[in-house]
Amino acid sequence: MKNKLLILNGPGLSDLSIYDEFYGSISLSMIEEKCTEICIDIGLNLDFRQTDDEDELFSFLLKDSDGFDAVIINPVGYSHALTAELERYRLAIHTLTLHKKPVIEVHIANIFKQGTDITKPLQAPEGEMGFVSGFGIYSYVLAIKAINSKLSKT
Amino acid sequence: MKVYVINGPNINLLGTREPEIYGYDTLESIATKCREFGSHNGIDVEFMQSNYEGKLVDFIQDAITNAIDVIIINAAAYTHSSIAIHDALKSFSGYKIELHISNPHLRESFRHTTFVAPAADAVVAGLGADGYSHAIELLVNLPVLQNKAK
Repeated sequence: MKNKLLILNGPGLSDLSIYDEFYGSISLSMIEEKCTEICIDIGLNLDFRQTDDEDELFSFLLKDSDGFDAVIINPVGYSHALTAELERYRLAIHTLTLHKKPVIEVHIANIFKQGTDITKPLQAPEGEMGFVSGFGIYSYVLAIKAINSKLSKT
Repeated sequence: MKVYVINGPNINLLGTREPEIYGYDTLESIATKCREFGSHNGIDVEFMQSNYEGKLVDFIQDAITNAIDVIIINAAAYTHSSIAIHDALKSFSGYKIELHISNPHLRESFRHTTFVAPAADAVVAGLGADGYSHAIELLVNLPVLQNKAK
């Protein structure tokens, strides 16, 4: 049976025009297309989602992720969220890592670079979480390949 | 395409140092895997390691002198302190990737600051020793490096 991968994209990722300067013109549908292509190629079942609604994102992360073997999340500007929301993020990620599910945080831009300083990396209390930032669409490609090699080792 | 993979302090102890965090692969076995992939894909991969901050700066300056296309740097603990490495990286006009075996942002707060990432194009962390080979494999397809291929 194929492993199931959930890719979650947070608020704001429906419009990617702010990245034009660094990564050329890209859109969420281009990212989805690329991810689909890679997943078909390596034999992963992909569910690709985006929401502008924080609550919906949490619900995807907390409830729906049960049915998946691995999760890739682009939380966008999560560090600007309220403290209570940050705790929810941490808890959700923590729950996933406790179940030994590979989780990778991805960002299109290098979030540490001046001018693209949109957020800080997620901080889960413990457990493992990968981090890929700054490769444009290819941040997702690298993350999918890393997830696949992790899943094939377990 | 020519790639330098520059490794900082204690990375020479990979495989024996806190393997529950850093894994059981040695730097040599990682390097062998990356060089093998490179030789089949037109990428000349050179691994280097030093425990000395200034030596890491020298490696970066060598990359400038030798017209290297890509630097992948795991500056290890110097990531969180070295302005010299930050400055050297800024002088290198090729493509730069910061790499960590673990994810520093999930660890002690003194590892949350990075002087390397703001001077780099992209960051890979927390993917274990496989992060190196994943990063090298990605270079083949990365649009920004397409004119450097083969």
